[in-house]
Amino acid sequence: MPKAGSGMQPITSLDQMVDHVIRSGIKKKVAVACGEDQNTISAIFRAVKSGFAEAIMVGCKNKIEQRAKDEHIDPSIFNIIHVDHPSDAIDKALELVKSGKADVLMKGLVGTDEFLKAVLDKNKGLLPPNAIMSYVAVMQIPAYHKLLFVSDTAVLPFPDLKQKLAEIKYCIKMANAFGIEKPKVALIGASEKVSPNFPNTIDYSAICKMAERKQLPNCIVDGPLDIFLACDKKSIAIKGVITPVDGDADILIFPSLDACNSFYKGLMLFAGAELGGLIQGTEKPVVVMSRSESENSKYYCIAMSCLMA
Amino acid sequence: MPITKLDQMLDALKAKPKKRMVAAYANDAHTIEAVSNAIELGIIEGILVGSKTEIEKVCKAEKIDINKFQIIDEADEMKATYKAIEVINEGKADFIMKGLVTSDKYLRAILDKEKGLVVPNAVLTHVTVIENVGYHKLLVVSDVAFITAPDIEKKLVITNWVIKIAKSFGIETPKVALIAGSEQVSYKIPALADAAIISKMAERGQIKGALVDGPFALDVAIDKESAEIKKVKSEVAGDADCLVFPNYESGNVFYKFHTKLCGGELGAIVVGAKVPAVLSSRGDSVKTKLYSIALGAMNA
Repeated sequence: MPKAGSGMQPITSLDQMVDHVIRSGIKKKVAVACGEDQNTISAIFRAVKSGFAEAIMVGCKNKIEQRAKDEHIDPSIFNIIHVDHPSDAIDKALELVKSGKADVLMKGLVGTDEFLKAVLDKNKGLLPPNAIMSYVAVMQIPAYHKLLFVSDTAVLPFPDLKQKLAEIKYCIKMANAFGIEKPKVALIGASEKVSPNFPNTIDYSAICKMAERKQLPNCIVDGPLDIFLACDKKSIAIKGVITPVDGDADILIFPSLDACNSFYKGLMLFAGAELGGLIQGTEKPVVVMSRSESENSKYYCIAMSCLMA
Repeated sequence: MPITKLDQMLDALKAKPKKRMVAAYANDAHTIEAVSNAIELGIIEGILVGSKTEIEKVCKAEKIDINKFQIIDEADEMKATYKAIEVINEGKADFIMKGLVTSDKYLRAILDKEKGLVVPNAVLTHVTVIENVGYHKLLVVSDVAFITAPDIEKKLVITNWVIKIAKSFGIETPKVALIAGSEQVSYKIPALADAAIISKMAERGQIKGALVDGPFALDVAIDKESAEIKKVKSEVAGDADCLVFPNYESGNVFYKFHTKLCGGELGAIVVGAKVPAVLSSRGDSVKTKLYSIALGAMNA
């Protein structure tokens, strides 16, 4: 992974991220479990063509070759490992990543539940003991002047303090890889006020104090803040709230999955946002994409996984 | 100039109109002497509610001029206590002191919903002001006696009270340290998280007129060198005016260590009722009783 901080310009768009991955000469082996569908094949093909990924397709060889040909893709661009059953495909792909023969694990045409269950498996999986699995999405929003890292859109429904801290660390690590040395972290709530009646604000206060006491990685943290105070300097002026995040957040930590999920989907649907995202906490990057995501988003996810691998 | 010694309270009071204190069931020498002493120093006017016969007896034995007191004759312990409260409720006295009545009965009377001294949902808080030769100013500490295991809401009440008391000493922006076992925040230890949330509330302007920070271990709160060694950057660290303890056990040990092993002096009152309540015990020194009365008068 390229080290942040050594004069690297912060990346401010997802295309810049892809450029950075390509220019850095990154080339990672991506093991795709059950990459038998058109969606997965198209996305991974684009990544392979861009030069930062090598694909190891684990699944039914016939199906993979046929789907590739349907898409006018020469299947010989892929390294194909044939297995008969989808569950064997997950196991085999996991084994490749675990043994170091591949750098990234990616989900193909297999149920997310089954896939994540295997990733979480104590023996064959990719989650170290006591590690917290979470999801970080990087959003490119036309109305915002830079990328926004948000968590957790997909894994932790109601993160407790310990899980929130893990989310923050994952986001910071990713922001660092994007050349953001000291990211500004906003802990999102409905207002900036603290109240014992809102448990999240208790967690947020503890997190702020931990940052003040240098118990967190290099970053600027404040919360609770609403989205306006986190991302809009004008609101800061209007409300007169003094906050080091100062309407210029790089990272938004949400109180719940519902809130974060609605935020990102709303932006994609109504504001033309694009997104890349990765499972966090695992030994190696894990790419899980839903079928509803755009082809661009899928491509960005793979590029991000290669950046973080 | 802010008050930095307990004795300076006396000078401050002498310069102001005298407050009237009523002592509930003031039948014993300890109480009568303490009130007499405060009157002699010119810091209060005193009303004794108790058995006139007993009061006369004590005054004779102790050679105290009985004429300095206003006396309300009531020989029964509970009736005398309620009478003292009535005097307050009628606006004829500004604060109250416990006499020979037991603490339990005294507080029960104060907390009485109909005849007592509290508004609904009042939280009584015990505040102690400590003078220690090892520290450059007074320390307002709470709660060392009353609220045993304060939750965040109660800690906020305590915090606001210590701020108010510190302000009565002329400290414009009191520095409040929220005490815990460490300045590192951990989700496993509630005292640390509580301190973090309270200091955040202060940062957001939800606690006014003070600098509030924590969690701090005690050394970081009151010793600049410790704060520097531990690299804690805070305007409060090493220079606290007020200490809010996470529970009454820790606060109680702190103040008793101060009085019993450091020979330190203090004054203490109960706040949160309509008027300050002095709650001195027979074990208290003459000075502690005087300072507690003075503290009551300062905040009446």
